[in-house]
Amino acid sequence: MKRFGERRAVDRVDIALAPGECLAVLGPNGAGKSTLLRMVATLLRPDAGSLSICGEALPRGARRARAGIGYLGHDPLVYLDLTPRQNLELYADLYGLSDARERIDAGLDRVGLRARSFDPVRTFSRGMAQRLGLARALLHDPELLLLDEPYAGLDAAGARLLDGVLGDLGATRGAVMVTHEVERGVSLAGRVMVLRAGRVVLQEPTAGSGGAAFRTRYEELVA
Amino acid sequence: MTRSRPSWPRQLRALLLKDLRLELRTRDTLAAMVLFAVVAMMIFQFAFGGRGQNLSAVSGGILWATLALTAVLGVGRSWVPEREQRVLDGLLVTPVPRDLLLVARAGAIYVYLLIVEVVAVPLVTIFFVRGQEPGDVLLIGVVCLLANLGISILGSLLACLALFARARELLLPVLFLPSLLPVVIAASGATQAVSGGTNDLAEYRGYCLFLGVYAVIFGLVAYATYEHVFDD
Repeated sequence: MKRFGERRAVDRVDIALAPGECLAVLGPNGAGKSTLLRMVATLLRPDAGSLSICGEALPRGARRARAGIGYLGHDPLVYLDLTPRQNLELYADLYGLSDARERIDAGLDRVGLRARSFDPVRTFSRGMAQRLGLARALLHDPELLLLDEPYAGLDAAGARLLDGVLGDLGATRGAVMVTHEVERGVSLAGRVMVLRAGRVVLQEPTAGSGGAAFRTRYEELVA
Repeated sequence: MTRSRPSWPRQLRALLLKDLRLELRTRDTLAAMVLFAVVAMMIFQFAFGGRGQNLSAVSGGILWATLALTAVLGVGRSWVPEREQRVLDGLLVTPVPRDLLLVARAGAIYVYLLIVEVVAVPLVTIFFVRGQEPGDVLLIGVVCLLANLGISILGSLLACLALFARARELLLPVLFLPSLLPVVIAASGATQAVSGGTNDLAEYRGYCLFLGVYAVIFGLVAYATYEHVFDD
């Protein structure tokens, strides 16, 4: 549970995410989606309840848990006056990666920014910067990928890339994606959770349900 | 998956390197600090030194009043990239210990202050001190090294506290300057004790000891509170 003043932003939410699973968290503005994700990302401390991330109980194991989290928010979380390479070098050092150079090269290749790796990020478009944010979030091969409206700033190439990442999580990586894009969330995730006023109003597997069909239900749920 | 714990010296070096790279590229903070210190010295020179008096007796006060105000400028600029470019979440979600973020920031402020002092100490000697000897400047250098410790630790902590405040531009100087008063008094006293050929080493040592104790106290305060600074 997380409270801001008198308001309970997140209340009685129970999530268990298995490796290889992707959970889409849907809901209208102010439903508590981002607050929930920030708690899972160890950026907010819950007022009540317990959290265990990557096998580490919080807050005690927060530092170890962070080593396994990849977080991408609305912003790319990179320094605009540094180059992509300098930004990724910084994060590689903070994560203690031993093969930093190879990972950085591979990451820049993956997001199509190798040719611009020595230009300041300030000269990039929003979509390019967000692609760099994606490379940053994936740099340390996280066990848990946390995405807050990740498609908001992505260009078409970045969106395809992220679709590929979420579509092929592998056996060890889980993902939680907060999104307003109902159809996309339902089509990519194995399970969907709908929040309204901080509470879960639906949590079920998406298997077999089409995004368009789900939208009608979703609109009824959040009305 | 088993993960090795990242080493803190590598993390600290990366955070410091990042600050220096940003400063080299943007030249936002250091240039403003040096310019401010030079202008302040000139204002003091015009205000007090126009009639050719020997101002050795107040030179320490002039130096440290200038450096304290310059530190406010530098501390106020720290965390600006993280705030304006919304990078803080990116740092906080990595396995870097919270106290290391404070230490790295204090380290950057310390380096900036040292660079300002490289300019300010000779200037104060030229403008206000008669009969300065090279050995005196070395002793003043030791005062700078000690005083910077307290200033940078306190500055780093208060800058973090102000980071999440609404009126941070007002809050920071209001909190920082009064807290710096003991440093200004002790550093001025120590500088005075060795300026212009008055080598009162006993008094100098006493003030230097005070500066060291001040740094240790605020180091402990920062250590006790850092976890709460970044909470939520």
